[in-house]
Amino acid sequence: MENGLGFVAAVNLIIWAGITLYLFVLDRRLKKLEQRSGDRDQAAGMDVHYEK
Amino acid sequence: MGRIKVMIYKILLAIWMNLIIAAVFLYVEPAAGFPGEVSRILFFHVPMAWVATLAFLLSMIASSVYLITRKVSADFLAQSSAELGFLFCFLATVTGSIFAKATWGSFWNWDPRETSIVMLLMIYGAYFVLRSAVPDHEKRRVFAGVYSILAFCTVPFLVFIVPRITSSLHPEDTLNPAGPGMDMKTLIFFLGSLCAYTALFVWMLRLKVRMLRIMDNEQGVKFKI
Repeated sequence: MENGLGFVAAVNLIIWAGITLYLFVLDRRLKKLEQRSGDRDQAAGMDVHYEK
Repeated sequence: MGRIKVMIYKILLAIWMNLIIAAVFLYVEPAAGFPGEVSRILFFHVPMAWVATLAFLLSMIASSVYLITRKVSADFLAQSSAELGFLFCFLATVTGSIFAKATWGSFWNWDPRETSIVMLLMIYGAYFVLRSAVPDHEKRRVFAGVYSILAFCTVPFLVFIVPRITSSLHPEDTLNPAGPGMDMKTLIFFLGSLCAYTALFVWMLRLKVRMLRIMDNEQGVKFKI
């Protein structure tokens, strides 16, 4: 591989994998927060709808 | 849309983006007329600029919807979109700067394209200052909505008109290994990159809107969708 192009590609791939992982983790945490918030609102008798 | 379906789309996007990155570096040839491999950055720089423009447009539309309907969810969309637009605009500036260093020998040349993108960043930076400066929720949303519409009026002028009515170092046909236009292989991966970045923007936008909704709910402000 000339001029370390493979290295640059590998670094890019690692960065992208990190971003994807972060977004997946964020997604899961938001889902949990939405559920917790939804449960609390339901217990308080409030009519709040979250996007699924 | 079912949760499993959405999850499949996200996994497909992750795979798609990895394939695009690998292909852009290892399969597509660099464009002629540029030093070394620097032209490959355009597979990232142009989609980022495109997503920034799209995000600012969406912010303006959502702001208009908010001002007409007063639905808080429209304001969440406007704010999220403006924030992501700013992020992608900043990344487009950074990648453009790296390209400038490799091609013209300096990270910053005050080229009309560089100057106009800095002005755009400042205009949208002021949007966030405005949002944080008004404590009242309702007033903040109205002011930000009006400002977002006014801010977008400058986007076509700064992105499309200014760099074309003045002489600029910025290339128009960079992804071009063999003359005018774009060869098929380059075009396929270029469009693939555009689609991947657009999908990434949609994913990030959904996350940000959900985040704002939860934050708003935690403050005790209730709303319906």
